[in-house]
Amino acid sequence: MPALKGSLSYTRLFVDGDLPKNFRDQFTKSIRLRAMKPLEPDEEALERAGWCVIGEPFDVELDYENVFYNEYLNLGYRTDKWMIPSALLRAKVREAEAAQLGRKGRERLSRQEKTELKETVVKRLRKQLAPVTRVVDLSWSLDEGVVRFFSQSERAVLAMSDLFHRTLGMKLVPEAPYTLAARLGLSKAAETAWQALEATSLAVEA
Amino acid sequence: MQPADRVEKRRFVGREFLLWLWFESEAFEATLSTRIQSTFGLWIEKHLVLSVGKEATRIKGTFPAGSREAKEALALGKLPEAAGLHLSWGDREVTFTLKAETMALSGLVLPTVLGDEAEAPALLETNRRPKKGKKESAKVEEERVSDERHEAFYERMTLTREVEALVEALYSEFLVLRLSDTWNSVVAPMLGAWVQGEEIEADAYRKARDAALSASRRGASASVNRRRARRP
Repeated sequence: MPALKGSLSYTRLFVDGDLPKNFRDQFTKSIRLRAMKPLEPDEEALERAGWCVIGEPFDVELDYENVFYNEYLNLGYRTDKWMIPSALLRAKVREAEAAQLGRKGRERLSRQEKTELKETVVKRLRKQLAPVTRVVDLSWSLDEGVVRFFSQSERAVLAMSDLFHRTLGMKLVPEAPYTLAARLGLSKAAETAWQALEATSLAVEA
Repeated sequence: MQPADRVEKRRFVGREFLLWLWFESEAFEATLSTRIQSTFGLWIEKHLVLSVGKEATRIKGTFPAGSREAKEALALGKLPEAAGLHLSWGDREVTFTLKAETMALSGLVLPTVLGDEAEAPALLETNRRPKKGKKESAKVEEERVSDERHEAFYERMTLTREVEALVEALYSEFLVLRLSDTWNSVVAPMLGAWVQGEEIEADAYRKARDAALSASRRGASASVNRRRARRP
């Protein structure tokens, strides 16, 4: 829970656009619609992402009080993924194949039979295992228009930005030297100078 | 230039910003100033990564920027990619790593007083409370935990924003210099000499730097006045 304790490592993203009127009520409703729905063993989906209460990965009751902290909107970006250890899966599939061959009194199974058997084994194992849950805190400072996402993984940032856009209808722009410069205010002359910039080389020729 | 190019093709500006911080810290003996903070301490510590293309030099130690390897890497055309920074202002001290191309902060250790440390006494206090109805005491406990969580969060965000504001103020001043003629006429030659082991002419640098910053401020206020004058 980096937003609440420990050292902080994060990516800053700028919210593109203005807040809509009555955004607090509107956002609370939209966030509830995208609250994390746990994966079920019989489902096809291998992975799912959704929102949870910040600092509480398994609390998906997203009320106004646990989302809005005055001028901040706080959420947990949760992803659940089925991860069955490959050695375990191989062993269980072999066991099931041997049992089926014994039952049918045959020496070989068709490709179709093997695929179906593997699917059955995967579903059975999913009932015995729990999906792997990962959560990254997110804090949107509404007055600054800045989202602090407590991960620096490019993949996680992209996936979260996509869910953020689908949930709240607003795009996120990741921080870079240019975006920060633009936000701090570049005059017309500075903007022209920026476009003409060339890297400074300190290399000493041998 | 396309908007995406302005971002992607100018990421080196972040590296030059880190280089400038290193140079300023050395020129002014780790005591810097900006418009928002009169004086504060800033120096590189613990680690410094310099790179060009796929070639990287990673230096670890108490004062990595002072090592011969660091200047040699600059002379080979490498620029800072990430650096551990120590920032000290008022009675506060923080350490973090600044990543040049994304301007991202990592491993930011804040001098907080709430949060983890507040938990132990709070638990003792709960045990001493007179017994109430189960439902009522559960609700009170829930509210107390929620309040503590909110307080710890606000404290952390306030400090984080203070750190970011200082970094932004430095970046803003760096941009004024970098986008002015002073960079090519004064700063870049000084950086070149510094890389080759020459002493920094701190007074001459300060004079040129301050003149560029003052000119920019005058320009900004003149532009505001012009805009005001144009208003009906």
